[in-house]
Amino acid sequence: MSDTIPFPSNVPGRGRLACVGLGMTLGSHLTPLARSHIAQADVVFAALSDAIAEEWLKSMHPDVRSLQPYYAEGKPRMRTYREWVALMMAELRAGKRVCGVFYGHPGIFAWSPHKVIEQARAEGYEAHMEPGISAEDCLYADLGFDPGRYGCQHFEASQLLYCERRIDPAGYLVLWQVGVVGNRSVGRLDTGPAYRALLVERLGQDYPPDHEVIIYRGATLPIERPRIRRIILRELAEVSLTAEETVVLPPAVTLQPNRAMLERLQVLDAKGQGVAAV
Amino acid sequence: MTDTIKLLVAIGSDASLRYASPDELKCVLEQAQASVELTLAVELGNGAPLRVELCIQQVEQVPQMHAPGQGGEEEEADVPPPEQPKPDRPSPPPTKRGRSRRG
Repeated sequence: MSDTIPFPSNVPGRGRLACVGLGMTLGSHLTPLARSHIAQADVVFAALSDAIAEEWLKSMHPDVRSLQPYYAEGKPRMRTYREWVALMMAELRAGKRVCGVFYGHPGIFAWSPHKVIEQARAEGYEAHMEPGISAEDCLYADLGFDPGRYGCQHFEASQLLYCERRIDPAGYLVLWQVGVVGNRSVGRLDTGPAYRALLVERLGQDYPPDHEVIIYRGATLPIERPRIRRIILRELAEVSLTAEETVVLPPAVTLQPNRAMLERLQVLDAKGQGVAAV
Repeated sequence: MTDTIKLLVAIGSDASLRYASPDELKCVLEQAQASVELTLAVELGNGAPLRVELCIQQVEQVPQMHAPGQGGEEEEADVPPPEQPKPDRPSPPPTKRGRSRRG
């Protein structure tokens, strides 16, 4: 038996892929493993929210290629993301160790990391994702609520307009990308009050118009503080809102006990006690 | 790496500095001979002055996810698009759509 095991990842000329998250705040959130993936890569692709973070990434690797220039006014975003996947796959097929670095968590609200990993694996390459600290993680810390207490639903805001979805107002509701809600035109980065008025109308089916709404943006630079604004629901259409801001609606109603299930649980408990006694 | 980026990383990774008040941080930056722009950014609580110093533009944070049903020429969606009004006359069978997946 050989003393050394030839791991496929160490075979020269065999490409491998890692998609990692940089976290949300520069200098604060990068995990040791993600940093190692960056350092060990032959080429690093970067899709980051902040060009300052990109500068930081460049200090970790000599070949960092920004994916931002592939965006263009009027160009379908999906086409851009397909180009990103193609760029990463080309280097992978050339036998390179490729690292895709994304802001936050690479697998949350991000199409291309999932896609490129899927494609790489389909072609027989080793590929995986390393989680990062996401905007959602920061939100719980900064707003100080625990999703486990009352439950928490998350929706991409447009989904509430495009699809029939059931909101549970007994739990928290977190809406992502409200600033671009209803944006069906691919080149635009924001939508106006008329679009958000539709969202307010939809939310009005489950919440009173004066229900509290929290608008949140986490810190991306360590010299920043989280931005937290509190308004009421009917004001949501008119306030200024950017794509990176997240909207949170606290519970509007109290949890109602499920009496039927509680009774059945009681029966089970009684049976269990009976079994224990035997 | 510019000194400003190094200082930002130092602030971001130090438990005392990350949540220090702007005044406390300014004292530390003064000792570290930080740039005027970084000191101003701390004062303002945002990175705008740093973009001037580093000659970089603020990049709009573009979400990578499209809601299903959003449309777009190359969209892959988890759900079928909204039903179209039924035509008065029978129309040819629809062309085959690609496998749908959330964008």
